[in-house]
Amino acid sequence: MSRDADYVVRFGMRERVEHATVIVLFFVLALTGLPQKFHDAAIAKTIVNALGGIAQVRYLHRVAGVLFALLTIAHLTAALAAVVLGRSALAMVPRPKDFRDAVVTIRYYLRMSDERAQFDRFDYKEKFEYWGLVFGGLIMITTGFLLLFPILATKVLPGQVIPAAKLAHGNEGLMAFLVVVVWHLYNVLLAPEIFPMNRTIFTGKISRERMRHEHPLEYARRFPEEAAQTNASDATEPQRKDDG
Amino acid sequence: MIRLFPTGISILLVGLVLPSLPGHATTETSFSDDNDACLSCHGQEDLSMTLASGEEAPLFMKRELLEASVHKTLRCTDCHNGLDQVPHAERSYKNLAQFRASFGEACKTCHFENYTKTLDSVHYGLQARGDVFAPTCVKCHGSHDIARPNEPRSRISQTCATCHLPISEAYAKSVHGRALIEENNRDVPVCTDCHRSHDIADPKNRAWLMNTPALCGKCHADEKRMKKYGLSTAVLSTYLADFHGTTASFGGKGRRTDAEPVVALCVDCHGIHDIGKVTGKDAPVFQANLVKTCQKCHPGASANFPAAWLSHYEPSLSRTPLVYLIRLFYKIIIPFIVGGLVLQILLHLWRTVVNR
Repeated sequence: MSRDADYVVRFGMRERVEHATVIVLFFVLALTGLPQKFHDAAIAKTIVNALGGIAQVRYLHRVAGVLFALLTIAHLTAALAAVVLGRSALAMVPRPKDFRDAVVTIRYYLRMSDERAQFDRFDYKEKFEYWGLVFGGLIMITTGFLLLFPILATKVLPGQVIPAAKLAHGNEGLMAFLVVVVWHLYNVLLAPEIFPMNRTIFTGKISRERMRHEHPLEYARRFPEEAAQTNASDATEPQRKDDG
Repeated sequence: MIRLFPTGISILLVGLVLPSLPGHATTETSFSDDNDACLSCHGQEDLSMTLASGEEAPLFMKRELLEASVHKTLRCTDCHNGLDQVPHAERSYKNLAQFRASFGEACKTCHFENYTKTLDSVHYGLQARGDVFAPTCVKCHGSHDIARPNEPRSRISQTCATCHLPISEAYAKSVHGRALIEENNRDVPVCTDCHRSHDIADPKNRAWLMNTPALCGKCHADEKRMKKYGLSTAVLSTYLADFHGTTASFGGKGRRTDAEPVVALCVDCHGIHDIGKVTGKDAPVFQANLVKTCQKCHPGASANFPAAWLSHYEPSLSRTPLVYLIRLFYKIIIPFIVGGLVLQILLHLWRTVVNR
């Protein structure tokens, strides 16, 4: 078998660029946003001073925020267009199976069963993160613009909306930060079967081997012959450990 | 202040102070006899000398003035050093101003700490630039008739009023000034409580400005003091938690010059010397005046805009339900979501270990 044949393209250029851009913007937004939320902390003062003062920090935050809004709009427009034009596989759409998969996985973790959930192109964890980013992002963008234009906003909305938006913006941002640092970074860097790093979103490639284990339903759909073959040989082998 | 000293030392201090209190008068507190010698000449009303400028410098000293002064136990020559020989060695002065300034430095012999403090003051800055009207020790404290500067307390603002009359008049009408003058209230600030006495900073100085919320907070975040008047002590914390306060705690906007806008500080909304009760109809923070006050920095602010600031109130269900509920929502959802994810990670790790 040639080397190319060992790998399958999982992400196209657009998804890879989008992800890289989100990394940069997310980092800038968290770096310039969290010190504003936790302004009492000594490290907040250190960061703000290092970045050239609060006015500069807010400027950076707003520039990154507007770019994030543009990226989100571009992404959602493209996704919506694909759906309307019938070119979307709707692979990211949450389905009842995802909730069942989550239950099966938790039961497996708890050793209540040895059954592993069989995932398609995106597993429930990936869908949770994607929709978390989309909805969280929409909350951040909406509240962010309310905070950027408070005078305009209060021409039509009650004044109370501004402190409410501030609380929502800060807390939603904190939650997004914690989910990314705790959950996302664990799943793509630190999880034992992934460590040191899942590179697929950067290279776009996934090995057939990993695809067969992590996305067996997608693998079976795309490579029915191989899937049938390996399933037959797996049946004669003892249960293998999940080492990705 | 009392807590500065352990009890033992306090007793010692009281022991040191007591003998000099009224009722414990000793020979030390009486008028210095040596001064009678000086007054034998300087007690003559027509004693004077002609200066180089042709001006007449009066050399007469009223005995009663000296006797009423807190310095009555000092000898004349303690301040007027170099004059203990009679006749005095010849001295020449260009003009009256130089003559009057000639013993101005004498105070530092005893009051060295306060003297050094003045070197950092905005007043000394004026002196150093050659401003003949700039205050010196004696311009504020007096010279031969020197008395306790803070007895009564309202005397302090009267002293400042000598030069700062319009500000003093505004202060006298303020909630602080009225309480001081009408009720002799000891909780309200006099000029020196905010501006300090000897190391008076330039109030346009950025560092000083940025410290004003802490300055107001010294009294307005003090539970004991505010309880007497039914005032909230959350004013400082709620200010710091919102945009203006957060910006202020990071040192304000703009970095290059003092002239750049900083951010709304306490005084920008409440007023400075003319500060009034928030319930006063003329107060800039009175409900009906708020839009105008906001518009000072936010032109175009509409009637809804002032409600974007919670007026130093903590979010509550009755006053600001939306803010309250959003805060409650995140107080629940963040631990729930993040805790759930951490639990899943721990379970995953556990199952991985078990598998091996």
